[in-house]
Amino acid sequence: MGIETDNKEIISSIRENAKLLLSENQVDVIIGYSEGTVPLSSTPIIIRKEEDVDKLIWNNLCYINLARYLAPLMPQLCDSEGNSLKIGIVAKGCVGRAVNLLAVEKQIDLDNIKMIGFNCNGIVNRSKIDLEIGEKEILDVSISGDDIIVKGHNWEKKFPYDQYINELCKVCQIKSPSATDANCIGECQELESIHDEFSDIAEFESKSADEKWAYIKDALQVCTLCYSCRQACPMCYCNLCFVDQNMPTWFGKTTQFTDIFTFHLIRAQHLAGRCVACGACSSVCPVGIDLNIITRKLEKIAKERFDYTSGLNAETIPPMMDFKMEDEEEFMLEED
Amino acid sequence: MTETVLEEKKIDEKWEPKIIAFLCNWCSYAGADLAGVSRIQYPPNIRIVRVPCSGRVNPYFIIKSLVDGWDGVVVSGCHPGDCHYISGNLVARRRFAILKELLEFFGIEPGRVNFMWASAAEGERFAVLIRKVTKIVKELGPNTKFQKEWC
Amino acid sequence: MDQKRLKKDQIGKLYNELVGEYDFYAPINKKGNIAFEKIENPEDIVLDYLNSKIPPKSVLFPQNEVLFEYTLDEKDVEITDRQDLEQKILIFGIRPCDAYSFELFANFFSFHGDWKDDIYLKKKENTTLIGIGCNTPKTTCFCTSVNGNPFKKDNMDVFLTDLGDTYLVEGISDKGKGMVQKLSWLSDASKDDLKKAEELAKIAEESITTKIDVDTVVKNLETCFEHPVWDEISESCIGCGSCAYLCPTCTCFDVIDETDHYNNRGRRIRIWDTCQSCLYTLETSGHNPRDTKIQRCRNRIMHKFSYYPTNYDLLGCVGCGRCVYVCPANNDLRVILDKINKIEEKEDEKVVA
Repeated sequence: MGIETDNKEIISSIRENAKLLLSENQVDVIIGYSEGTVPLSSTPIIIRKEEDVDKLIWNNLCYINLARYLAPLMPQLCDSEGNSLKIGIVAKGCVGRAVNLLAVEKQIDLDNIKMIGFNCNGIVNRSKIDLEIGEKEILDVSISGDDIIVKGHNWEKKFPYDQYINELCKVCQIKSPSATDANCIGECQELESIHDEFSDIAEFESKSADEKWAYIKDALQVCTLCYSCRQACPMCYCNLCFVDQNMPTWFGKTTQFTDIFTFHLIRAQHLAGRCVACGACSSVCPVGIDLNIITRKLEKIAKERFDYTSGLNAETIPPMMDFKMEDEEEFMLEED
Repeated sequence: MTETVLEEKKIDEKWEPKIIAFLCNWCSYAGADLAGVSRIQYPPNIRIVRVPCSGRVNPYFIIKSLVDGWDGVVVSGCHPGDCHYISGNLVARRRFAILKELLEFFGIEPGRVNFMWASAAEGERFAVLIRKVTKIVKELGPNTKFQKEWC
Repeated sequence: MDQKRLKKDQIGKLYNELVGEYDFYAPINKKGNIAFEKIENPEDIVLDYLNSKIPPKSVLFPQNEVLFEYTLDEKDVEITDRQDLEQKILIFGIRPCDAYSFELFANFFSFHGDWKDDIYLKKKENTTLIGIGCNTPKTTCFCTSVNGNPFKKDNMDVFLTDLGDTYLVEGISDKGKGMVQKLSWLSDASKDDLKKAEELAKIAEESITTKIDVDTVVKNLETCFEHPVWDEISESCIGCGSCAYLCPTCTCFDVIDETDHYNNRGRRIRIWDTCQSCLYTLETSGHNPRDTKIQRCRNRIMHKFSYYPTNYDLLGCVGCGRCVYVCPANNDLRVILDKINKIEEKEDEKVVA
């Protein structure tokens, strides 16, 4: 056993299923991950031919959520008339969630999508490793048994896998896509609901307002507003993001803390009940900001207030698209 | 404006908060009007923006107000079930619930942003709640967390 | 003699001597990211860094730069121009590739001398660069392919070489030579030091194994504007701007106005912009000539490897490799250039899209 053998099994199942889909002409293209050119990375790839399936890999560094490429659908996935091709997508649990949610939000047609499901074993936290290595170049990252082995010029360091994966992956309960066999090949499951404690967030919430503000201020101050988090997010598909609305311009684009904070706050608001907790936003951040705390809070709100977990199926309407007469309104002002 | 001036302002008895109120056209705006014609007094700290429905209030309106220097925000709409557009206020209510929770989560004083229902017949209630909002914001002092630095 | 030695524990002394005259910028570790910041405590300075995450362009061309401020009264507008442009700036510990990027900046901000950006040019004029050679370049570096070198001294005023426990200090420009002479407490460098520095430079240059045939890239780009290769290149791009924001040669900016209504004042700010943003080319009519990421990706490559050489006779890339390791989708520039290089073979059949 061990992560290393897990990965080998995952890779062979992905390749086998991808080959099957392509050979039976069930799909025209397959989006998956391929080996990256620098350590701690991977490259999304589009496979069109059966003989190319061996380029597909899985290695715990495949942090991009591939559903990102579905909405808005990129031209490479359309035929000459602009219609969607039949797409196969290598799907870990959170990709499956994003696909389901995009279908609910009518951004994609599930008939065109075939997921290649597998049991995800977590994503390595790049920035945590980067931070611990410091100013030394990482030449190679591999997984051996249950350890992440990081190598450089004349040095080598071991990181226990279970401690160096994303915080989100540690508590993840949707490891393979929640889907039926009709739109998923390989590992999948049909989940009704999940049970989550959110003890990590409850701990943060119990802090005083000043402590919370200080933490957020410290965490976000290095943000360069490059919007990588937005771009990597499978659910951020607006034609025109609120920060880009310029008739008139109403969002401050400087890197003063007010503007940084406003961006992250409103983005969180837009993702409430829609966030699929893939952690791509944190993984892609060029300056290593950990946004997981916001992600988890959004999940907590959805679960506790609306008893909803995003992307479990392609039918349930997300809370922010819905309302009930008897919704709680304890926060409304009332006469004393 | 420097920090020290703001600090002084905080202890200044005469400091009055500036509060922006987004009132829906059909209930709360008429409620405010009724309070006016009935000569019910409420603090002059609020400046009213009339919106078609509380559902029209984008959460960013609220945040942008704070960024622009308002000390507090209040959004008021029709009571649930009475919305002129049937469900605008119900949609808004979920949005506000989340905004309120997020603000508190990030350590912003919850009292900066307030939500209430007031119908066209409730001039008295409108005045009472506005008095309450003004009191809450006044106790919080000037809004500094959203201020940009000016030299 | 222009070559001196500086002991590693004397950095503090050097700082104390220069900080009165200059705004002293140097690399520091800011939450795990190396960035050039104004130094308050010389112990914060990190010189054994690989390369900074945020390029030193942020010193002279900051992400937010107030161009002017204004205040209003009942009748009049009063505009306050920048007052601090005469302040001398010192950038300490800059890498050769980043120093080279300022040469490109000089072109951009003065466009053949026809239009001049006074704010940038004045600041640059008052800037002294103290550079440091790269003893151990990263594997993503390819400066030797783009007219650079890990020990290139051309754009520096003073150049340091890390010799282990000391730095070899060389004055390069007249400004730099003057500065080295003023630092009279520096001891003279020995012949061994010079020899060692030469050896280090040689080792460093040899350790850069990535070689890119840039001439072919430039030549191929002239004819491949409509080539299907761009579909392939932009495939994995997620359209963020990290590559441009962290690129030492990217100069594009946007200008925004900020008003403080309640205090009757405002300011005009220049902020970084990126060609990867959908707003970048959006016209008032609503038409966007660069609407898809295929076109945006193409623009980035074209700008650096085709428009720059055409306009300024210089490459728009210094080979620092930042975009290579920072790209979230690992859309490696080296691979992209390689693909463009390989177009040639197919070119016989002449693909016209």
